[in-house]
Amino acid sequence: MQKTLRSGSFKKATAIFTTAAVAALMGTFGVSAPAHAASAVHVKVWAWYPNFKEVVAKYNATHTDIQIDWTNAGAGGDEYTKLKTCIKAKSGCPDVAMIEFQTLPTFSILNPFVDMGKYGASNADGRYAGWAWAQATSGKVVNAIPVDGGPMAMLYRKDLFAANNIKVPTTWAEYASAAAAIHKLDANQYIATYGNDPGWATGLMWQGGCLPYKYNGTAAKATVGINLNQASCKKVLSYWGDLVSQGLVDTKPFFSTDAGADFDTGKYWTWVAAGWTPGYLSGVLKTTTGKWAVAPTPQWTAGADAQGDWGGSSFTVMNQTKHPKEATSVAMNLYPPQKTIDAGSPWDIGLNSAFLYPLVTGVESNAAFVNHTYPVFADQQPNPIYIHASKKLGAFQWTPFQDFIYSTLHDETAQAIAKKEPWASVLDNVQTKAVAYAKKQGFKVTA
Amino acid sequence: MKRRQVIIGWLFVLPFVLVVFFFLVLPLIYAGYLSSQADSLVGGQHFVGLTNYIDTFKDPLFLEGLKRVAIYAAISIPIMISVSLTAALTIDVIQTRLARVFRLIAFMPYAVPGVVAALMWGFLYSQQFGPIYWVAKRLGYPNLDMFAPNVFIYSISGIAFWAWTGYNMIVLYSALQGISREIYEAAIVDGASQKQIAWRIKIPAIKGAIVLTVLFSLIGSMQLFTEPRILSRYTNAVTLGYTPNIYAFNLAFNQSQFNYSAAVSFALGLIVLVVSYGFLLRSRRMADK
Amino acid sequence: MSLKTPFKRASKGQKSLVVPSSKTANTLMIVGIGYFMMPLIWVMLASTKSKPDLFSTFSLWFGHSFKLFANLHSLFTQDGGLYLIWIKNTAIYSITSAIGATLISAMAGYSLARFKFKGVVFLESMVLGLIMVPATALVMPLYLMLSKVNVVNTPWAVILPSLLNPFAAFLIRVYVLESIPEELIQAARIDRAGEFRIFWQIVLPMLRPALVTVFLFSLVASWNNFFLPLVMLSDNHLYPVTVGLQAWFAQASQESGNSVLYNLVITGALVAVLPLITSFLFLQRYWRGGINAGAVK
Repeated sequence: MQKTLRSGSFKKATAIFTTAAVAALMGTFGVSAPAHAASAVHVKVWAWYPNFKEVVAKYNATHTDIQIDWTNAGAGGDEYTKLKTCIKAKSGCPDVAMIEFQTLPTFSILNPFVDMGKYGASNADGRYAGWAWAQATSGKVVNAIPVDGGPMAMLYRKDLFAANNIKVPTTWAEYASAAAAIHKLDANQYIATYGNDPGWATGLMWQGGCLPYKYNGTAAKATVGINLNQASCKKVLSYWGDLVSQGLVDTKPFFSTDAGADFDTGKYWTWVAAGWTPGYLSGVLKTTTGKWAVAPTPQWTAGADAQGDWGGSSFTVMNQTKHPKEATSVAMNLYPPQKTIDAGSPWDIGLNSAFLYPLVTGVESNAAFVNHTYPVFADQQPNPIYIHASKKLGAFQWTPFQDFIYSTLHDETAQAIAKKEPWASVLDNVQTKAVAYAKKQGFKVTA
Repeated sequence: MKRRQVIIGWLFVLPFVLVVFFFLVLPLIYAGYLSSQADSLVGGQHFVGLTNYIDTFKDPLFLEGLKRVAIYAAISIPIMISVSLTAALTIDVIQTRLARVFRLIAFMPYAVPGVVAALMWGFLYSQQFGPIYWVAKRLGYPNLDMFAPNVFIYSISGIAFWAWTGYNMIVLYSALQGISREIYEAAIVDGASQKQIAWRIKIPAIKGAIVLTVLFSLIGSMQLFTEPRILSRYTNAVTLGYTPNIYAFNLAFNQSQFNYSAAVSFALGLIVLVVSYGFLLRSRRMADK
Repeated sequence: MSLKTPFKRASKGQKSLVVPSSKTANTLMIVGIGYFMMPLIWVMLASTKSKPDLFSTFSLWFGHSFKLFANLHSLFTQDGGLYLIWIKNTAIYSITSAIGATLISAMAGYSLARFKFKGVVFLESMVLGLIMVPATALVMPLYLMLSKVNVVNTPWAVILPSLLNPFAAFLIRVYVLESIPEELIQAARIDRAGEFRIFWQIVLPMLRPALVTVFLFSLVASWNNFFLPLVMLSDNHLYPVTVGLQAWFAQASQESGNSVLYNLVITGALVAVLPLITSFLFLQRYWRGGINAGAVK
């Protein structure tokens, strides 16, 4: 390096850096919260649906006593990472946090929640779908307020099925023959992709009658039931394993740019997916908007009426809050039941922009919701299908370490997809690992 | 006077010492303490001594990740360093304008954040609109999938190659430039070819720099984290324990197993230490021969 | 592993070894330039595309329409101008910690070189030791510690740990040993100048080339840092641009919605790398100074 360097660019750069540094040091950090009436209580909310920006704005504009400071701290797992660290650190948590149903026990065992029952939520039981309310509560303790659900149905390319004279499947047997027929038409087309999303796979198994977990955080905190290798669960996974092994179903992960584009190019003809999935699809589709339709999930037995659920979220109040009452009020009223879908109302934003399936009771008699149409599905009114699916969902429980089970299920399935282990042993392996993990964590494990 | 000097000397080092203490020593001691405790979801925290470490070295997820980064390092480092070395030797003797431009451009990825590099390559590897697939398809490989589980580790190597080859080249080039001309003179008088000079004089002369680039690449490879984490959405490949660092991160921040995570990351640090010093000793011994 | 003469200029007389370029070498270098430029060219081209073009037109050429300015506009206005805040945060965090690290290292390096006391061996082993510590081993306990003093989720949680830079202290020490004559300091002492005045008025100006090098490397290190801010910050108004872009990318893949997030991530990536690449081009000799120093170890 030269010691006697005095080039113009160097001087200039030094000047720029110095100025910038001084400006930086003098400037204030972060951003100041917008000024509101001094009396308003500020409630910090973490939620990841992008469209909640408008919902929050609407809330803030219509409330004077409470103001919401909304942060998108990441979707799903990214947010949980932050929540778990702030719980461990005993500081830094928001007042209200969005958490998916399957993850509620995983959090509640860390005792981070306010029992909202004490702050006015105990009478809310009639307000929400039974299965959702059961997952959000533990006995009389109200851990969460349901926001949206993921009752499953089959999205399919109406035009392609019609043009190629293939019957839209109503049973899984028909689905398998359709898979073969589609792949025969064009080796580069598939009925679907096995996206290896553990929540999705769990929804499909749920629909197949597989209820593998038993857990009650209030009655027996240290006892958990895990029974993943029962016949009803294995049936579902081997079905998909067969399709994948025969090359009739692709294996690209959901939500990657490539898979997104493949839904639009005709590479994938169907997607058995959740009530919120059309929201994702409507963002991805460019040329096939309006060519899709919704049908009920194919059945294992012809004429049966079994349903599954993939995801769905709720609002919880964290016990680091200084305003449990106001936070509970926000959790209950940020996305409240509505009778009509007025422009700019939370439901207008939730339904039309985000495709959030509302978990409130009485949606079946809400004409505005029942008759609602979406550009993705042209003139079809898909909501009756989702309403029916949601009604048919029975009780379903989760373990207090669902994240571990999900990542193990993902990893074992990935092994099967890569042909490094047979599909038939995926659930056996997950079962063994989950039981070992549970025991290591101090649980008594039952079937 | 003497004592005053020492005091003043310490005053100058004090801020540094404070920073080292609070942001290096103390966290490591704390992590060491955490790793000696066990904390289960039901049952609470208690002292377990070295149990977490024993578990770590028996944990198939940890060992699998370790094996993966070892293979990754064994494949990618020799390729990267030999390309860097060849390029450095070339621009050392060819001092045209083109060589200077090449030198500059090759180093540029160093200024690109790892996150941004991973995002860019994620798009470049795409089957839908990436140039790599576009070429592969025309060469007769329409099934190339850079995100397939058995291909993904090479895709990651590709990103690392792009990011670090130029940097290593510059390090080696700088070392070559530091060789004094006397060393060459006899060889030139003897009529040695460029190739002979490179092999017999230059490479031995910059051995220290080569060892250093290999060592840094080795440490970096064993701590692989950002690229697979960013691209995990695109592939089935990235598992819970894909690399030891990803495993430690998942344990702490997804499964709330802070204690075990501390043990896993310490175990990784220990292995990196052993491997690094093993490598240094070996290269020193080879130099002695 | 000892350091010798890192800041020395390359000896003259290389001329005798310069050979004319060959066709093969030229071709390979041109291919190399193309290869190293490819992702950057791609990001430049992609940031001129509309969302449909991004996914449907050939990646290494322009799309049907030129949307760079529209993309820049939406980049800077999305979520209430969040991206500008990220850029500002990145600048604040990295410039503050680079200045701090440079100053702290300058004082420490000078002291270790000129005042006789033990600690040099410790410093050398720390330089190597620090890069061997996995990020999680350090950041995880740091998070728990900083949360106890309520520093987590503030800029300080990112700035303070970034002040740690043993390598910088190490470089400065070597530089002092090589280029600041002991006699000069002694002469100043005889003139009864205070030790701090000597440092500030005599040593620091002489250290300038080394300081710039150290500053640049610290700047890049914190500008590119991802893991530390990812763990420490949860308020997206405090994110630096690396964490912010990652968050948008995650959002883009999960909640594709009706937004143009992929375009924003790409345009945002372009804007994020421009400052460093520009400064790299203008200040190349300083980069090379630092690399030289590293090379001779």
